[in-house]
Amino acid sequence: MVKAKETLIPRHEEPATASQPPHPAAASVVGISKRFGKVGVLENISFDVAEGEVLVLLGASGSGKTTILRIIAGLEMPYTGKVILHGKDVTELPARERGVGVIFQSYALFPKMTVEKNIGYGLRIRKHKRKEIKKTVNELLSLVQLEEHRKKYPSQLSGGQQQRVAIARTLAYKPEVLLFDEPFGALDTQTRVHLRREIRALLKKVNVPAIFITHDQEEALELGDRVAVLNVGHVEQIGTPFEIYNHPATEYVATFLGAANILDAVVRKDFIEVGPAKIPATLDRESFREGDCVKIVFRPEDVSLNRGDFLRPGHHRLSSALIEEITFVGAYERLRLRLEADEECKTDDTSFLLTTETPDRKPTKSIIATRPKPEASTTRLQVGERVVVALTSFTVLPTKSTNMTNHQGTKAQI
Amino acid sequence: MSSIAPAMRHVRGFDVVRPLSIGMLIFMMLPLVFLPLASIFIFGTSNGLDKFWSALMQPEAVFALKLSMATSFWATVFNVIFGLFAAYVLSRYNFWGRNALIVTISLPTAIPTAVAGFALLLLWGPYGTLGRLLSPHGVQVMFTAGAIILANIFVTFPLAFGVIKPVFDTMSRSLEEASATIGATRWQTFWHVTLPSLRGAIVSGALLTFARAVGEFGSTILVSGNLAGRTQTAPLYIFAKFNEGQIEAANAIAIVLALFSFLIFSVLFFARDWLDVD
Repeated sequence: MVKAKETLIPRHEEPATASQPPHPAAASVVGISKRFGKVGVLENISFDVAEGEVLVLLGASGSGKTTILRIIAGLEMPYTGKVILHGKDVTELPARERGVGVIFQSYALFPKMTVEKNIGYGLRIRKHKRKEIKKTVNELLSLVQLEEHRKKYPSQLSGGQQQRVAIARTLAYKPEVLLFDEPFGALDTQTRVHLRREIRALLKKVNVPAIFITHDQEEALELGDRVAVLNVGHVEQIGTPFEIYNHPATEYVATFLGAANILDAVVRKDFIEVGPAKIPATLDRESFREGDCVKIVFRPEDVSLNRGDFLRPGHHRLSSALIEEITFVGAYERLRLRLEADEECKTDDTSFLLTTETPDRKPTKSIIATRPKPEASTTRLQVGERVVVALTSFTVLPTKSTNMTNHQGTKAQI
Repeated sequence: MSSIAPAMRHVRGFDVVRPLSIGMLIFMMLPLVFLPLASIFIFGTSNGLDKFWSALMQPEAVFALKLSMATSFWATVFNVIFGLFAAYVLSRYNFWGRNALIVTISLPTAIPTAVAGFALLLLWGPYGTLGRLLSPHGVQVMFTAGAIILANIFVTFPLAFGVIKPVFDTMSRSLEEASATIGATRWQTFWHVTLPSLRGAIVSGALLTFARAVGEFGSTILVSGNLAGRTQTAPLYIFAKFNEGQIEAANAIAIVLALFSFLIFSVLFFARDWLDVD
């Protein structure tokens, strides 16, 4: 990923971890592909997880994320590629010899065993001494705070407690890597938010590398040290939550991680032309040439709305717009705006088409903006009012027609 | 009808249909089930308990009961193990002919027991397909306790399988997968994870099989030879004594068998919670 000069806009400082994890990798997947019959479900998947790191595989259902997890666990064989755990190629090893811990979506606790027996199972089948098992089980029970439930059966526990038992059961045999299969899928929203914080804290404490799979972007951003976005069997982008949210590499990533406005634009010498607007941007000359058709992506919160033409420094005028709809969504206000190509800005021969795409990919001419509560209450806006739309930040993506060798988005600072 | 029914349903808050339907159910069962059963007990004890007891203690009667229990026991052991194995294979693997196998396993319930006995004779009898090869070596399968076990196995073949397979089918694969990722071998997984979940099904399958085997008559009479004190099971004893006109002797065993099945089905019914415990 090419970084443009940090200019003008003060942003939150970027976390140090880049796309590559600090080596050595605790677990690696190298060039995995998988077919079921003639249907390819994964193609050339590669990623690393560092010691103590949490990687989230984020994708819609059918993106192949569960298959990746099952391949790492040894419950499924890859068509090509390798699985490497702590430097050892385990691709040919059966599940039981890999030493990975899987936390199934249903938890898969053994119904006829008590909490204690469930947790001690891994050590029992490894023929550890009774005393030793008891000691480990006690430690784990206190780690997951289930001491008083030790004699209970799984059916007597709540979903969250069952999940903690499932985690303790895998930690007992010191797994190489923990794999979580949609661990919060079966829980209600409140419990889910609470549990994922708890589990993240727990994982940092035990320092075992973990791979989560989820379709919930909020969960991915909150849980992951890094997030890999999957789309129909391939990785679209791997990066820190900050990177993938603020600098999506592809349109898919941009729209999958929350609302994104996408506009057509053309690359010019020192600026990007978006319809009638000229937004100064420093672009990497190797990826983009003058005249290239590109797309710019910006989040609803990157839009600033102004009554007059006076813009704060760093805010760049896009267009004027008509407010079509205002929705109150709790913490913020969401506005739908229809962009207008203002007459006086028409300067040269570019088409002034402002085609935008909403996440559901229907072309419209509207964009979505959000305003935090303080701003919404100090500057009240009405439906039908005309405002000036400015951008505080955006990302430039190549379109398919752009002559690109690396299929990566380039961040533009304005 | 429709104008009367709503009026009948509630008479001053009292649901008439309830006692009526319960009464009707019992009335219908009376001549069909209750009275035949009751008459065994009434007849058997009408001459006093000591008569009943001495009829029961006849050496041939005791032998017949013991033989029935023993042959049924071994048939049950075999069929539970087989049923478990068959259920495992048929619910875990999908292969060509799988449904044909399921149907074949279930077949013995639909075949008349006399036909089952006849079929066994044709195979194992002294002139049967296999028996012909064995008899020169002095191996005689038919007309022994072994033959009774074979007949019991045949007629109770699908019972344990039929109870165990649905449990296998609904059992979550993730339990076994979890066990594998934790590090268990297939055998450890089966022993520690799969089998405990099947406990209820195995016990009820075994009880059903045993109850059915103890009462088996049609096939046993053909393959056992019906030799008193040697290959005569309890149902055969009842039939033989009845034919000889010794109604008391037949009745004593009949009471024991009736009580026995009552006991087994009570266990099946009332221990349901324990059997299905999660």
